Amino acid sequence: MAASSAEAASPTARTGPNHGLRIFLIWLPIAVIADWLLYFVYGPHMPPGTMSTSAASQQFDIKVMSVLAAPVFAFVVVYAGYAFIVWRHREGDDTDGPPIYGHARIQATWITISAVIVLCLAAFGTYELGAFGQSSLAGAGAGEGPSPIWKPNGTPLQIQVIAQQWRFTYRYPQYGGFETTALYLPVGQPIQFNVTSIDVIHDFWAYQLGVKADANPGVNNIAYTTVEHTGTFEVRCDELCGLWHGAMFNQGNVVSVAAFQAWAHKTEIKLASVTKMLPAYATSYDPTTIAQLNKAMVKAGIAGANGYYYPPQDPVQP
Amino acid sequence: MAETTAPSAMSPAEEEAVYYHEAALNSAWTGARLAAGGMSFLFGCFVFAFFYLKALNSHGLWYTSASRPQLWLGTLIMVLVVASALLQWAVLQMIKRGNKSAWMAGAVVALVLGLAAVVCSILQLMYIPFWPGASGFASVFVGFTPVFLTFAFCAMVWLEILIMRARPIPQISFVEQPPTFAEAFAVQRFQAALSSFTFVWNYLAAVALVAWILFYFVH
Amino acid sequence: MAIETQPERAQGAGGGLPAEGGGGRPWWARPAIHTAIVGAVVGYLLGHALGDYLTGATGAANQYPNVPLSDSEDWPIVLGYTLAIIGWLAGLGVFNDILRQMVGRPISGNGRAHQNSGLARFFRYELDHKVVGIQYLVGMIIYFCTAGLLAMAMRTELLSPVNHVFTSQVYIEIVGEHGTMMMMLMTSVIVGPFGNYLVPIMIGSKRVAFPRIEALSFWLTPMAFLILLSGFMLGGFPFGWTGYAPLSIQATVGADSYAVAFGLMGVSVALAGFNIIVTVICYRAPGMRWGRLPMFVWSMVSTSFLFVLAAPVLFAGMYMLIMDRTAQTAFFEDSLGGSSYLYENVFWFFGHPEVYILALPGFGIVSELIPVFCRKPLFAYKVAGAGMIGVSLLSFFVWQHHLFDSGINPDMRPLFMVTTELISIPTGFIYLVALGTFWKAKIRFRVPMLFCIAMYFNFLIGGISGVYLSDVPADTTEHGSFFVMAHFHYTIMGGLIFAFMAGIYYWLPKMTGIKLNEKLGLWHFWIMFIAFNSTFLPLFAVGDAGQPRRVFEYATNLQGLNDWVSISSYFLGFSILLFVINFVWSTVIVREREVGNPWQSRGLEWQVSSPPPADNFDQIPVVLSSPYDYGVKDAQPVADLHPPAGVVTAAIMSADAARVEA
Repeated sequence: MAASSAEAASPTARTGPNHGLRIFLIWLPIAVIADWLLYFVYGPHMPPGTMSTSAASQQFDIKVMSVLAAPVFAFVVVYAGYAFIVWRHREGDDTDGPPIYGHARIQATWITISAVIVLCLAAFGTYELGAFGQSSLAGAGAGEGPSPIWKPNGTPLQIQVIAQQWRFTYRYPQYGGFETTALYLPVGQPIQFNVTSIDVIHDFWAYQLGVKADANPGVNNIAYTTVEHTGTFEVRCDELCGLWHGAMFNQGNVVSVAAFQAWAHKTEIKLASVTKMLPAYATSYDPTTIAQLNKAMVKAGIAGANGYYYPPQDPVQP
Repeated sequence: MAETTAPSAMSPAEEEAVYYHEAALNSAWTGARLAAGGMSFLFGCFVFAFFYLKALNSHGLWYTSASRPQLWLGTLIMVLVVASALLQWAVLQMIKRGNKSAWMAGAVVALVLGLAAVVCSILQLMYIPFWPGASGFASVFVGFTPVFLTFAFCAMVWLEILIMRARPIPQISFVEQPPTFAEAFAVQRFQAALSSFTFVWNYLAAVALVAWILFYFVH
Repeated sequence: MAIETQPERAQGAGGGLPAEGGGGRPWWARPAIHTAIVGAVVGYLLGHALGDYLTGATGAANQYPNVPLSDSEDWPIVLGYTLAIIGWLAGLGVFNDILRQMVGRPISGNGRAHQNSGLARFFRYELDHKVVGIQYLVGMIIYFCTAGLLAMAMRTELLSPVNHVFTSQVYIEIVGEHGTMMMMLMTSVIVGPFGNYLVPIMIGSKRVAFPRIEALSFWLTPMAFLILLSGFMLGGFPFGWTGYAPLSIQATVGADSYAVAFGLMGVSVALAGFNIIVTVICYRAPGMRWGRLPMFVWSMVSTSFLFVLAAPVLFAGMYMLIMDRTAQTAFFEDSLGGSSYLYENVFWFFGHPEVYILALPGFGIVSELIPVFCRKPLFAYKVAGAGMIGVSLLSFFVWQHHLFDSGINPDMRPLFMVTTELISIPTGFIYLVALGTFWKAKIRFRVPMLFCIAMYFNFLIGGISGVYLSDVPADTTEHGSFFVMAHFHYTIMGGLIFAFMAGIYYWLPKMTGIKLNEKLGLWHFWIMFIAFNSTFLPLFAVGDAGQPRRVFEYATNLQGLNDWVSISSYFLGFSILLFVINFVWSTVIVREREVGNPWQSRGLEWQVSSPPPADNFDQIPVVLSSPYDYGVKDAQPVADLHPPAGVVTAAIMSADAARVEA
């Protein structure tokens, strides 16, 4: 069918205006301007910013995706808009359109172009994960599970994120394993988040850092980043975890290495008595150690919901 | 079966009856295969759960020596189901050759065997020597068994219906073509349904066999 | 039983049962919706009592003290629901024929009188596929509006980042109910009404393959709807439509309503798809070759395959969840040898085909309608079919892109990134077909065509945003945020529901012989289109700015955008209200007749009267040409509705020959 009507359907072989060329000429400037605006004007302000290496890589990906998407979107809209104006039904015209069943070359072109775009995108995405040894990317800030395959260079600072309903707490194993609700990070040093949960699935989302990792009970989920600017960032729970999911957020601070050292040593000493009660640092916690963990936390005055569900008549705001 | 339809001298109503009769026979065949496809995804979920939890072995609790179902009972259930299905397949060949009474006898035995398997399955669940959450294996076992026994029970209801449907059909109809369209259609539809049933029941027997190997040997 | 075939005399018009009068019983004793309600209530009470007895007698509550997160109250609820479903079906008379056959009696008409064309047949277990289609249509509109009202309640809460209209408990209940109701019931929004009603007519058949299964698939949906809604009375469920364990195991009894309703809907769609596939394979009229099959039928077949293969996975997932909650197995309990990842894998192995279940029927409707309004043949018919088949095949191989951040299998990420991006190729075919069909067409901007165009526009945004989500780094920002939420509302509401509306305006004259008011339809379209985009386009920005889904408190600097969205959503709700008013006004009050072929369509369904006769066709038609031969000089009619004797028989003989060879 397609082959037999190919001649009749060829858009350029017919007399009359060259619709294909017109559409192309309308589309081209729109696509170029849109891409220029997206990449150079809006691009540097795209989410999630450039506070860390992983955030920057995500921003770059979103930028590249947008630059590819805009011409595609523009093409369909320009083509359709042109068609609706030029080929609309006129009053009193009851005839049908030309019987075009297909066009082999156009179909093949369309399929080839879309396949090439898609495969390039896949290769690009794989590259951006750090799959070719770019240690600065290190998995693009996504949780990689207990045995990451994309790692940064050097020894990262370990921070354990313990999620529970409905609070994040943080342990610093390289500083005696103290546990606190405050999140301080040093600038310029690779950081390894060990994300775990003691009740249901949560998700540690440090928005400005471009880090997102599910907190699964009994599992250690590792995500890497290197922060490049000091400042504060938002941490939110990004996996629905029950009643107060919407209230499960806090703020983190990125400070200089010296300030971080000072804070960590001070806190380690201040919390020493609580740290003694905690179970030994582990990449995940089972029910017996969770009970121990909770007892210590109650003493420190930072209890969550103890891993149990509040009945609906008694919702306690954290 | 096509010889029922003399190509000439049919009224539109007869033509239509024959057309939809053929469609119904095809539907029985197609439906049985499609149902097996859908069921494969259902049972496949349990197989997936089996290997997934086995591979993860969370807290070393995939399989404990305490969570071990009775081997003899499990083997008995599997043997009953497989025997019932194979018997049904064997007697299907007989009714295809025109021997209705042999099929009747075989089908009743197959029915009894299948129901016995269902009863044994229920007994096994009632007297299971571990609690369902004892391990990952225990969960998969306790989860899979009721699903399978429900399917086996429904298959046995179907077989019972087929036996009841076969009763009024005279023996001779299976040997030579009955004189009227209505009678011929009834016989052919019965045979199509019976073939579909045999296919599905043998499929379920294969599932039982795989489950037996997984639960008692692979764990 | 599932694949039982019945003697000829047991089948009547349209696949329905033969007329048998009233069976001599008074109306209230005949099975219909009122006996079903009685059956459901009795069943629930029995099940609840049985559950109480079991947990009391065996002490199951205390038997497994090591399972900290489940409670024994689940047994009575789950058993109550189960027996309520059985009671409901028994009250409808679903089991009558099975029981009659089991004791060797012939199938009865269950006291149904087919010639009764009154309203009562819509409230019965009626086997005519045209009745089932109408039942589905009305049911789906009710379900959609209920879930839509819940969405507006959510947007009301989100008007302010800190002041609350609802408590967090009520809010999270609404979130879960809205999401689950839409995702489970809208799977059938096109397959149910249009698939069941039109597929047999489009393929030139007088009946469907399994009318009982088809009718059963509908009658499970009201039960799924009611069970899900009853969750409100049980405290709701705090885990959205995804029901991630262990939160769903930890939750109170409201979670049982979720698991039972969702599992039940899985059964319903699997049955519906089963019937449609077998019907299309076995019941096509002579001459209805695969290459002449209308695109809508292709989309129904590919969707139905997803139904039959993916819905059992959903059922298994829900079943495991129920077992974890009641029998206290530990499928998803990490500390007891299970894994929460198991749930995520099983759920999304169903869940991703589900997403395409919600897209393919929309593709089918728009591809079916644009040739009619462009007055041109469908461009690249084979490419369109290949696109649908390709999408449904690939949809089974992409599920882990929902789990990019979950911490499993980092080495699989490039693979799932590729498969996810590959699926945009067959999806793109749908656009190639549309743009090709627009080329040099004579486009008539009637209401159904406007909805089709809007569908292409919305789905374009939805599809392109989906490519962002397939890229792992970009997904790390966008996963679980309002970006994802905007993305799938663009594909499902913007795609599926817009196509559904196109289908209603286009086919309602066919199904009822009554035309919807065109002027109100235009108002409906424009308000819906603008309000829809105004509601969901800003949500991409909200998500990229860091607002997670399903929160009731958010960053104060996002209030402006959220308020804009909430107000737009009221306009969107108003447009749906306009549609309901139009629907009721046109079909109940004005009833303007539209008996001909108002769109000058070549579709086979338009060659018979509107509404179609009880038997669809006087005689089996013989299909002569493609339904899309617009503009062809001396085009053959699409079918010979009164073929001369012998043509049908010849077709049977050739089909037989093929079967013997096989």
